[in-house]
Amino acid sequence: MKRGLLSRAAERIYWLGRQVERAESTARLIMVNASLLMDMPVRLPLGWRPLIHITDTVDLFDSLYGKASERNVCRFLTCDSRHPCSITNALSAARENARTVREAMPRVTFEYINDLHEFAHSELTPNLSRVKRRAALDGVCLRAQRLEGFLSQHMLHDASWQFLRMGSRIERGDMTTRIIDVRSTSLLPPGHDLAPFREIQWRSVLVSLFARQSYHAANGAPVTRPLVLEFLLCNPDLPRSYGYCLEALRRLIRSLPRNDLPLRACNRALQELSAADLGSLEGDSLHRFVNDCQVRLGELHEAIEQTWFRAG
Amino acid sequence: MSRLRQAGPHSSAPASCAKRQPPQTTRVRGANCIIFGHRPFQQRRWEAAIDWKKYHAAGVWDELVSPAGKARPGAGPLLRALSRLKDEDLKERQDAAELAVRSMGITFTVYSGPDAASTDRAWPFDIVPRLIQKRQWDAIAKGLTQRVRALNAFINDIYHSQRVLRDGVVPARYIEKSREFRPRCVGIDPPHGVWAHVCGTDLVRDKDGALYVLEDNLRVPSGVSYMLENRAVMKRVFPELFDKYVIHSVDDYPQRLAACLRSLAPEGRSSPRIVVLTPGIHNSAYFEHAYLAYAMGADLVEGADLMVGKDDCVYMQTIAGRVRVDVIYRRIDDLFLDPSVFNPDSVLGAPGLMRAWQAGNVALANAPGCGVADDKVIYTFVPDLVRYYLGEKPILNNVPSYRCVENESLEYVLDNLDKLVVKPANESGGYGMLMGPAASVQERNAFAKEVRANPRNYMAQPMLTLSSAPTLVGPVGSGQRMQPRHLDLRPFILSGAETYVTMGGLTRVALKKGSMVVNSSQGGGSKDTWVVD
Repeated sequence: MKRGLLSRAAERIYWLGRQVERAESTARLIMVNASLLMDMPVRLPLGWRPLIHITDTVDLFDSLYGKASERNVCRFLTCDSRHPCSITNALSAARENARTVREAMPRVTFEYINDLHEFAHSELTPNLSRVKRRAALDGVCLRAQRLEGFLSQHMLHDASWQFLRMGSRIERGDMTTRIIDVRSTSLLPPGHDLAPFREIQWRSVLVSLFARQSYHAANGAPVTRPLVLEFLLCNPDLPRSYGYCLEALRRLIRSLPRNDLPLRACNRALQELSAADLGSLEGDSLHRFVNDCQVRLGELHEAIEQTWFRAG
Repeated sequence: MSRLRQAGPHSSAPASCAKRQPPQTTRVRGANCIIFGHRPFQQRRWEAAIDWKKYHAAGVWDELVSPAGKARPGAGPLLRALSRLKDEDLKERQDAAELAVRSMGITFTVYSGPDAASTDRAWPFDIVPRLIQKRQWDAIAKGLTQRVRALNAFINDIYHSQRVLRDGVVPARYIEKSREFRPRCVGIDPPHGVWAHVCGTDLVRDKDGALYVLEDNLRVPSGVSYMLENRAVMKRVFPELFDKYVIHSVDDYPQRLAACLRSLAPEGRSSPRIVVLTPGIHNSAYFEHAYLAYAMGADLVEGADLMVGKDDCVYMQTIAGRVRVDVIYRRIDDLFLDPSVFNPDSVLGAPGLMRAWQAGNVALANAPGCGVADDKVIYTFVPDLVRYYLGEKPILNNVPSYRCVENESLEYVLDNLDKLVVKPANESGGYGMLMGPAASVQERNAFAKEVRANPRNYMAQPMLTLSSAPTLVGPVGSGQRMQPRHLDLRPFILSGAETYVTMGGLTRVALKKGSMVVNSSQGGGSKDTWVVD
């Protein structure tokens, strides 16, 4: 057994995990938004701009594009080289990280990442038709899943693995809270008090997180705000719930040496989650709570960085 | 009891229920399949893509085809298999090889100047393997071991009593003027008395088939990962060829290297930590550094990851804190190893590394200072060194060489520049040399001035005509898809507690017609090398 993974390698693997997850969740976000728009019975003012809010890139987007049209937003999120977190850029970074940690992961990993990278760069082009865009984004998700599946079945579940998973889980938890935030606050303009649309709104939150079917399996037919929030933030069996990601992070952190600081940060986030009265969160209070979740994840990231990646 | 695997039902019934399934669910898989061989063999006529009778390697020793267009001993099955392929088949294999190289990420990096971003290029690979008979290889391997033993004895002697100089076997002035002699290494005793742990020796064959050693690369020789990768690619694109031969495996190199490095660890370190020290991702051989680290289960580190403690031990920063490093397989040049001793501007190494090595707290492979024997002028003495240190007759021959520092030789070299290859003592990668017959008068005159000004730095050899092998470069539909291209061979020799020679080595091939420059940075490619029974 190796005594300790090189810090620099750990950091790059962690980021590799984040970047691949980021590329995949961005791809899913676009696909879901497109299908959501087609589901809407009336034209609600939701369009494509929420995706810019979800990814927290309003300033950059506005400086590069005029209108948040479907074409502009998709181009920005998939293949704009000026956007550091576009799918193609995230995957370029992932590939570069993979190249520098080849020695720490199974050989084939690089082939899969390389393939994912090449695929995204050749298929994700500006101005794709909807059908082609869908196929390209599907291809990205499929390849990301293949990578994750291969790694979970073949990679030694050692420290490298823990860091890869930590990166992906922290990114996933972050994305889940962002989607809840944006989808729940920006869907309906104030005073738009129409019950059927309300349900559509919360359903769209579920759909954005690929959790609609699981939600019904766990909660039956009715789609209500308290139940949806409880489900997406706390459900211990839903792999994309915020709570699930935190629990996964806690397990990963526990298995690593010198884990005081990150463990404390993780526990704090978990305590706040279990103490929250999720049913009462709405509008501003929900926004504040979700914002706090993201701050906690940021703190956790810093604790991880300080403990394992920096000389000490 | 039935040895058939139980095929479970498609329901979600627990596995234990499978036993009670009616027999038809455990039917033999494939029972209805066509039995192999029942399909009628299709006799088809095709246009040969390769006609060995039209293959001309005039004035050159070809490794696979004799001047009469016949197969050399052992090459028959390979040539026949190749000539059964049509143009499309060959194209398909070539594409498959390219795809494999790309998807496996087998690259080398081309350095394109200080300002330009270096680019990662796919490794050029030719699908026709080069064959070497096992019996022949055994003799060569013996010769290589002998050579490296003598070289190590020489380096050790140079940094100790310098017997070889006092006995006049090598004149002292060659060492005094050597750029690679490191006074700091004097008196150091590396484990097993070995300095050059990894050696890559370049072998070539002249037009009469005679084998020569062209040079011994002792500093940071690279290419071994490509040798391993070439085999992996070949298995993917030409699996059926492997049925025709007993091909000796090359796979164990990383384990041999790891064992060699382990044998260098400071005493008392029960499970030594081995690292590969790379200059970083922009180095031309970065792929190899990562590959070897991965294959050995070692860490790939950069200088910034290492630090030397007050106890003169080397540590690296890990997630568990600092961990001591026992063996460093360094892939950076001496002068960048330790900025506190050598090049102060180096950010590639770690300050204090030499101190730790001198104290015996860490092993460096290859040892600093071993480049003193990787000098094209010292090369000319190697057969003498074999006789001197080992009392043996050299098994492998040097290319006849002229030392420019000797007056008669210098005059001869300057008078015959148009027939000779002149090489600087300390360059590698084919840089800084003059290919006399191909150079212009101006180039030759300029070079003559250089040589006269600094004769110690040069040696000259007659221009050899490197042997060739069929390479898939000819035009489609010509029946001459295979053309002879010149090649060399770089085997790798490991020396630690034990010695090991790779089975074959890396065959590099000059893809341009008539060219003898095999370096990948200058239009060279490579072939898989098969040592066969």
